[in-house]
Amino acid sequence: MRLTTYIAMDFWRNLRNAGNSFFVIVLPTALFLFFGASMDWSDRPVEDGNVSAWIMIGIACYGAAMATASLAGSAAVELQQGWGRQLSLTAMPPGVFVGAKTVISLAMAALPVVVLNLAGVLTIADMPLGTWLAAAALTILGAAPFALYGLAIGLTFRSDAAVGTASGILVIFSFLGNGFMPLDGVLLDIGRLTPMYGLVALARYPLTDGMLVGMAGPGGTDPLWMVLANVLAWTLIFGALCLLAQRRRTRRQ
Amino acid sequence: MSRTSVITTRDVRVTYPDGAGGRVHAVDGVDLDVSRGEVTALLGPNGAGKTTLIDVLLGLTAPEQGSVEVLGTTPTAAVRDGRISALLQTGGLLPDLTAVETVRMIAALHRNPADVDEVIDIAGVRPFASRRVGKCSGGQQQRLRFALALLPRPEVLILDEPTAGMDVSARHEFWDRMRAQADAGATVLFATHYLEEAEQFARRTMLLDHGRMLADGATDEVRSRAGAAHLQVTWSPTEAELAVLQEAVPDVRAVEQRGSRLALRTDDPDAAAVHLLTRTAAHDLTVRPASLEEAFQMLTGDDGDAAGRSTDQATAQNPEELLR
Repeated sequence: MRLTTYIAMDFWRNLRNAGNSFFVIVLPTALFLFFGASMDWSDRPVEDGNVSAWIMIGIACYGAAMATASLAGSAAVELQQGWGRQLSLTAMPPGVFVGAKTVISLAMAALPVVVLNLAGVLTIADMPLGTWLAAAALTILGAAPFALYGLAIGLTFRSDAAVGTASGILVIFSFLGNGFMPLDGVLLDIGRLTPMYGLVALARYPLTDGMLVGMAGPGGTDPLWMVLANVLAWTLIFGALCLLAQRRRTRRQ
Repeated sequence: MSRTSVITTRDVRVTYPDGAGGRVHAVDGVDLDVSRGEVTALLGPNGAGKTTLIDVLLGLTAPEQGSVEVLGTTPTAAVRDGRISALLQTGGLLPDLTAVETVRMIAALHRNPADVDEVIDIAGVRPFASRRVGKCSGGQQQRLRFALALLPRPEVLILDEPTAGMDVSARHEFWDRMRAQADAGATVLFATHYLEEAEQFARRTMLLDHGRMLADGATDEVRSRAGAAHLQVTWSPTEAELAVLQEAVPDVRAVEQRGSRLALRTDDPDAAAVHLLTRTAAHDLTVRPASLEEAFQMLTGDDGDAAGRSTDQATAQNPEELLR
């Protein structure tokens, strides 16, 4: 058995899926170059860094969550379309499928983070090196719960189109999650309850220590417990949705 | 070649919930013995339990009752060691891989896979090797599934409706390739609803319906189990003459007049032939055994009725009625 060959081929297959790669890599990069690197406020300071870095982290979160959600969703669809039966006829031990998909989705999630950070370095994003690394690691790690989101959709609707739509909805969640533009007022209050808010705030924590960035300058802080509560709550909600979908599927058989 | 049993099942039972609180008996007490090197057809209508039985043999479904042994071990162990493999009926392929990538990817998951290029040639995948699976025709996808089944170099090959979606010439080509595998010593068990495939390719035929084995034996034997043979004579009888024939050979089952030729179906072709040639003006008699399809219909019952219904007057038609 050559599991690395299998994993590399499956990774390459997902990477060349034009739709996926566009939303995971091209769109976030374009968003960053537009909103993050060329606006009037881009080089205003945020703690030890600048607004450009602040926006870069938010958009990288969107790309990473897109990657894990669409990968987990399509994995669920694959299994249900009979690929799982084909794999059961090989020497691959059960459980390796999940392990392989985890490796692949982490690699996919790392892609936009790497590309965006490069784009940031090459333009005007700025923060201390340790902050760069911490933010990047938290982005990839924090994107993992969105695999459950994709999985729930894949299990419920069993179609690639549904998974694509669900991943697309992450654009809206990212906007509401304060990922693209600094929000304030009612929109920020609503945004705090949405799933991407926790991930974005967590990934920015090394830079901001919870400080909020507003169009008019600094505006209040989010305590760490609140950020973590958002991440935990949505992880539990997505997990519960997966269990529900799974139970419904078993009952129907 | 040794005649040891490579697949043995005893009283295998699998049920599914039927959605209305009850349970469907998909496989209902099947005993099976397949010897090494045998080529066996598994026939049955849709929903007969063929796929479920195959899933049990491959360890994809655990039977609720009964025992399964494949090559002296459990199905799962035999699959893991690449000693048994299968061409599965539906799905099982990723549309965005090319054919050759699919073969390579699955090959990477076997312990001691055959050479990818060799398998691609044997299965006839070469002409469309670099085409994406989603753009391959149904027949091409079946050939690709066949290549995947050959990858572990199995001793036992199970094929679930292998020629589904193939046109006639592709089907012929497929069976030529299959025959080469069987000649090389592989044990082959295939499910099909093309009865002529069982007739042409399998020495042994099993009939499955409602999860029960209705018949299991040499294909010729199973065919004659249905008892029917077709007789044709040049004869234009009157109703009275037909009544006499029916009295002499009571089980004459169907009669049709085609011009001057009269077609009959009976369980006792000898008696019918003697009567026709000695007591009537009939001549130019031909006898043909019933096809497997007819045997199949008789053994399963056209209406999907309970298994094992006898081939009695239930399907018989009155000759007089038919002639009118």
